[in-house]
Amino acid sequence: MRSSVAARAARLTAAAALALSVLGPAAAPAVAADDKILRLGTLQKIDSLNPYVTALTSGYEAFELTYDQLVGFGPNLEPIPGYATSWERAADGHSWTFKFRPDLKWSDGQPATSADACFSWGLVIDAIAKGDSVGVGYIDPALKDAGVTKVECPDATTMIATTDDASDRILQTYIPILPKHIWGKMDYKQLGEAKFDPPADGSGAVGTGPYLLTEFKTGEYARLKQNPTYWGKKAAPEQIIIQFFGTTDTMVQALKAGEIDYARRISKDLFNQLKTVPNVKTVNGASNGWTELGFNTYGTGTGKTIKGGGPSTKALQDPAFRDALGYAIDKQKLIDNVLGGYGTIGSTQIPPVITDWHVDPTTPRTFDIDAAKSKLDAAGYVLDASGARLDKEGKPISLRLVMPDDNPNFASVGQFIQEWYGQLGIKVTPKVYDSGALVDVMLPPEAGGASNKADYDMFIWDWSWGPNPDDALQVFKCDAIGYSSDSLWCNQQYDQLYQQQHDAPTPEARHELLAQMQNLFYDQAPYHILFYDDELTAYRTDKWGGWQNQPANGTPLFAYSTLGETLLTDASAAPSPTAVPSGGTAASSAPTTGGGTASPAPSGGSTSSSGGLPIVPILAAVVVIAVIAVLFARRRSSSKGDDEDDE
Amino acid sequence: MSPSYLGRKVLQAIATLVFVVILNFMLFRLMPGSPERILLRNPHLDAQSIAAARARFGLDKPLLPLEISVDPPSLKVNPDSQFLAYLQTTASGDLGLSFEFRGESVTEVIGVRFWPTIILIGLAELIAIVVGLTLGSAAGWKRGGTLDRVGNGISLILYSMPYFVIGMPLIIIFAAGLGWFPTSGMLSPGAQYQSPIDQLLDFARHLVLPLATVSLGLIGGYSILMRSSIIETRGEDYVTTARAKGLKDRSILRDHAFPNALLPTVTVIAINLGYVVAGAITAEIVFNWPGLGTLTVDALAARDYPVLQGIFLLISVAVILANLGADLIYGRLDPRVRA
Repeated sequence: MRSSVAARAARLTAAAALALSVLGPAAAPAVAADDKILRLGTLQKIDSLNPYVTALTSGYEAFELTYDQLVGFGPNLEPIPGYATSWERAADGHSWTFKFRPDLKWSDGQPATSADACFSWGLVIDAIAKGDSVGVGYIDPALKDAGVTKVECPDATTMIATTDDASDRILQTYIPILPKHIWGKMDYKQLGEAKFDPPADGSGAVGTGPYLLTEFKTGEYARLKQNPTYWGKKAAPEQIIIQFFGTTDTMVQALKAGEIDYARRISKDLFNQLKTVPNVKTVNGASNGWTELGFNTYGTGTGKTIKGGGPSTKALQDPAFRDALGYAIDKQKLIDNVLGGYGTIGSTQIPPVITDWHVDPTTPRTFDIDAAKSKLDAAGYVLDASGARLDKEGKPISLRLVMPDDNPNFASVGQFIQEWYGQLGIKVTPKVYDSGALVDVMLPPEAGGASNKADYDMFIWDWSWGPNPDDALQVFKCDAIGYSSDSLWCNQQYDQLYQQQHDAPTPEARHELLAQMQNLFYDQAPYHILFYDDELTAYRTDKWGGWQNQPANGTPLFAYSTLGETLLTDASAAPSPTAVPSGGTAASSAPTTGGGTASPAPSGGSTSSSGGLPIVPILAAVVVIAVIAVLFARRRSSSKGDDEDDE
Repeated sequence: MSPSYLGRKVLQAIATLVFVVILNFMLFRLMPGSPERILLRNPHLDAQSIAAARARFGLDKPLLPLEISVDPPSLKVNPDSQFLAYLQTTASGDLGLSFEFRGESVTEVIGVRFWPTIILIGLAELIAIVVGLTLGSAAGWKRGGTLDRVGNGISLILYSMPYFVIGMPLIIIFAAGLGWFPTSGMLSPGAQYQSPIDQLLDFARHLVLPLATVSLGLIGGYSILMRSSIIETRGEDYVTTARAKGLKDRSILRDHAFPNALLPTVTVIAINLGYVVAGAITAEIVFNWPGLGTLTVDALAARDYPVLQGIFLLISVAVILANLGADLIYGRLDPRVRA
């Protein structure tokens, strides 16, 4: 054994080298170049296949492709046929009649009728009636908000839903229509716990949607195949693979290599790099969310205090104080410096991407440090001799700014805030927390337990929303304190307006009330919404065409619905006149037409190294490292001098 | 080897294991942020849903079987506590249900991630040990020579480079640039294989870059250690004796210096092999290798206590066993520790 260690080492190394050479470029790709698979890259590893349990957009994408909703979302989020072909509200406004296709079939050939719709909605209504929710409770509030109390199915193609609500929110529910012949034996509790694994034989989950979930590898990918019995027009991809990545860097390299066709949520630097890569189109879609600077206003409207916690100064409860601080934030500078320009200036709690309901504030603030100072003076917050701003109790104002660690942008924003507020004589101490720990710091006693002390003054965090503005509005209601409210703000007028807009008889009336709510929120300023950050996405145009953003200033996929997937066409086929990207610049679309028929373009190699791949800098880096290594070795040996022998 | 030496070492290992099992429970509950809090930023979650979630994961039970309070003095016995439930289930090999991968058991979640990590890190360790020890002994034997200067310089640089820094250029050059290997994953998603050999080839293609990354990262450490060990051995009397006998330089290194210089590296190798199951977190993340390292990061982010506990337990057991192994091997190799 002794004699052969080194020799064996040499042999092993040689064998390894041989193995590597075999596996190298000569090995054929495992997937044929002409596969009709749409490959989507995301960092969100699907957490659950159960529609009632998943909390991630990637999870929604998978179940929405498999199961239709009664009503879908069109290119501009308007209601379009889904499981139902038409819907009509009764004259009294309190019931809706949905009509279904008489010949609709599940993917296993069973007829898909009103019974399935009544079953799927009935489950949720059951849970709501018992004060419970299906699964973790993300899906059912839509029905609760729409005030649906009962569903009936008088015949196979009709469902009648009774509602005590006057709005048309019933058309915006994410409730999947499940096949009753498969899930009908379960009640809502069992369904909330079910695993929803696709059948092992590869036949796919039974649905009526355009694609059926066929395979799922936790932490790796989900695979869906086209539904042969789908009622709508068939899209070009025969399969869809949602592939998960650990870092955006690797995901972007995979996009460049043609391994994936779509990369969701990439960093601004990589996004800028991708702009020059051939056959790749970048989209900075407006996102339905924001990043805010929030205040701990605990006690506003209630007069309550927290022993050993709460805001460090009563000034935070004063709208005039918060208003003045709003003049000391240069939002455009934040967008330019922190987001690399990819964002919109923040204003109200309904993002502008919700064009139907967003209104700009009547009296917007501009960046003006002097205005901020004079407003603070006027409100009674004066400077002392040392230049520190005092609160009305005569104490220097020193604010603790907390933020979670999961977004590096927050810390950069915090530095700017610290600098600007410093100019006002207000000391800001930023502190970064683990996001789970931060929730513990921020919870007020109302969350249950006196250990919750809401011990902070300001925070930087973000939110993102669905199509219904109620979700965002509701965070600022008095009864959200102890749950989702982090500004701990309470305003009776706001709460009344919320109820009124919820019950508004017409969209016009609702719009008027929402405008009031947005202005009230903006003027009272429990938050200064800093910016609506864009969602940075990129996709390849050499394999699939027909990319369409939803809505026009959004992103093509992982949007409000899975419409985008169903619009895709084969890029190598003749260009279809309908496949014009709506929001994009026309010049960059379909750059591959020249080679369309001449060469079938191998899937992997077609990117070529000419398009901005940083091989030269990397080779340079390798050379530099090698040189350093040699120098290092030299210096070591020369410093030892002639002491070649040890000791 | 005396039975008492063996017995003592085994007992020590068991005692460590018991300690680790208890620590395992406490440690993850001391972490800030609880799982139901992670869900709290959902504006729709009402008190009832939160309570239901707590009950489902057993978080509504008291933590410890005994609660001692000083003011007022009291001793409360909780027959149904999280700690006892944990001990019971752990002893029966059931590690509970994962929070993050809802509805899957921890044994299941860890099970599918176990082999990818063992194969990746195990192979990388093997390559790194062989190459590192060879390089280190050759460099140390001809101290100050070209191989020593260049080899040791490269070793130091590789040793100080995180896997991320090694892996990213490899991806950019060999995956995105030349297209020889896939950027990430373990198998091509959704590939239909003609035969098991095709599948194995696909697996191997995915393995090359992460394997190269981890091996490169590990070689440095072994090479540096082996070099200094060989340099030390070079001055020993038995090497001089061997030289005086007129043995060839190569055979002195191979038969006399190398085996003796190997002794200190055995400990390091044994401990490192114990950590094989911990995976190489940054390397696995960069290549999205579906191993235990990636799982650890995902579970941490989601406060998935049961999965974290499971991984922690697995790593502890592996390290304890590896140390026991090292003790026993050492006992065989070095007569001085046998007593």
